[in-house]
Amino acid sequence: MAHNAAAIRTVDLLGVFWRSFFIQASWSYDRMQSLGFAFTLIPVLRRLYPDREEFAGRLAVHMEYFNTQPYLASFVLGAAARAEEDRATGRNVAADVVELKKTLMAPLGALGDSFFWGSLKPFAASAAVAVLLTGAWWAPLLFLVLYNIVHVGLRLSLVFVGYETEGDVVVLMSRYNFTRLARRYKVLSLAIVGCIVGTLSAWGPEFRTSVPVFPPLLAAAGLVLTLGMIALLRVGASPVKLMLGLAAACLILALGGFA
Amino acid sequence: MTLFDAHTITQVLAAALIGGIIGLDRTALGQFMISQPVVAGPLTGWLLGDVTAGLVIGGTLELIWVLDMPIGTFVPADSTVAAVAATAIAALGSTTPGQLPVIGFCLLLTVAMVPVTMFADHLMRQRNAQIPELAMTSSGRPTEASVTFWHFGGTVAFFLKAFLLCLALVPAGLVLVSGFLALPDAVHRAMSLFITFLPLLGAASVARKLSMNTLDRTLLIGFVIGAVSVQLFHVPELVAIMLAAGGGWMGMRFHGA
Repeated sequence: MAHNAAAIRTVDLLGVFWRSFFIQASWSYDRMQSLGFAFTLIPVLRRLYPDREEFAGRLAVHMEYFNTQPYLASFVLGAAARAEEDRATGRNVAADVVELKKTLMAPLGALGDSFFWGSLKPFAASAAVAVLLTGAWWAPLLFLVLYNIVHVGLRLSLVFVGYETEGDVVVLMSRYNFTRLARRYKVLSLAIVGCIVGTLSAWGPEFRTSVPVFPPLLAAAGLVLTLGMIALLRVGASPVKLMLGLAAACLILALGGFA
Repeated sequence: MTLFDAHTITQVLAAALIGGIIGLDRTALGQFMISQPVVAGPLTGWLLGDVTAGLVIGGTLELIWVLDMPIGTFVPADSTVAAVAATAIAALGSTTPGQLPVIGFCLLLTVAMVPVTMFADHLMRQRNAQIPELAMTSSGRPTEASVTFWHFGGTVAFFLKAFLLCLALVPAGLVLVSGFLALPDAVHRAMSLFITFLPLLGAASVARKLSMNTLDRTLLIGFVIGAVSVQLFHVPELVAIMLAAGGGWMGMRFHGA
């Protein structure tokens, strides 16, 4: 192994960032993001290992099982790029990139699932649906902006943070307090969802009931129904079953002349 | 007019193509959330000439499925295919754009679509398992070209899954809609009313997953602010939403979350 490899440039890490959008293109049950990780790291490996044999060997190393939250994979990619650089330039020939990936993927997976899927997405969705229910056509754009400012911004910065910190999760957590941010997004989501129910009488014409009901009574009925459905979901009813139940209830109301 | 004339067949193919392309965003490419129902529905509706159907279906399905999360090997219901297919059925099956009873009926049809989409997703991901082996060349080692080729080969499977599902579900839905249109007026009124209730189910689904309490304090703060500001002070709804978010924020600051 030659220890005079060139250092990674910013453009190489930007290449990794661009490819990270395709990390799940071949997602499968047994190897999950393995091929995607290898594909995403190619700009760095190409830079560090001009020798074809060595390049192929390192590419094969990165085809091992890997799975984490796809956005936070950027942090692992940055860290792996740094470990590969340390190894290739001789700064740390014993750098164990496989172990590094194994160590990082599980905690980052849990953290990312909770933050992106469990708090940011519901926040953007609640805000967009609340706006959509007022009849605003631009609600989908609002959703995309609210979500992707955070998503793309983090994906980009985390490649560099992972590289700079060599995959130090403590630094990551102190720089981005994901847990606190997630809690805030959840609180905002709940408040907006409450507002959706409270403004039932002001929803757009497509969603408004044709039955004349005194607006405060309508809002109160909406709240009672929502709380009832929360209680049912809590005891194990599924959204699908509740949809069928609502359809049946609507049919009974319509046949009874209440709609 | 026959149910499947040349124009309708072309529209069904277009819907399947839209589903296939938007479906790529769900897992394989980008994950910019264009595949979320609140975006996928209106986009499909706009492309097929019925934005109202897309907005209603997308907005309704969004909250119901938003917290069905892809964690580990769990593959959630494919709300993208459900939103695209339901919107396409509503757009192509309605006699006029924005026909609420048909939209409500299409939302009901998504209930039947959910298990089909989950099964198809499961099958496709099992098939993808062989891709890493294929990326190995005859020398037993991967090359940049082989990794790139086979990696993007996976997107074909993701595309085909959504494309074929839409190609099967949309015509089936159109047959059912033509039967629905012949049903009595009371059934049509029931489906219009169904649309009113579904956002409440979405609200319940989100609240259930985000809070441990049925009577969550922040949910109630948002409700009171929304109801009072709109009904008592006649504040525009958009302002009411911001006030509710602000109220939730203040509640968190003073009482902790």
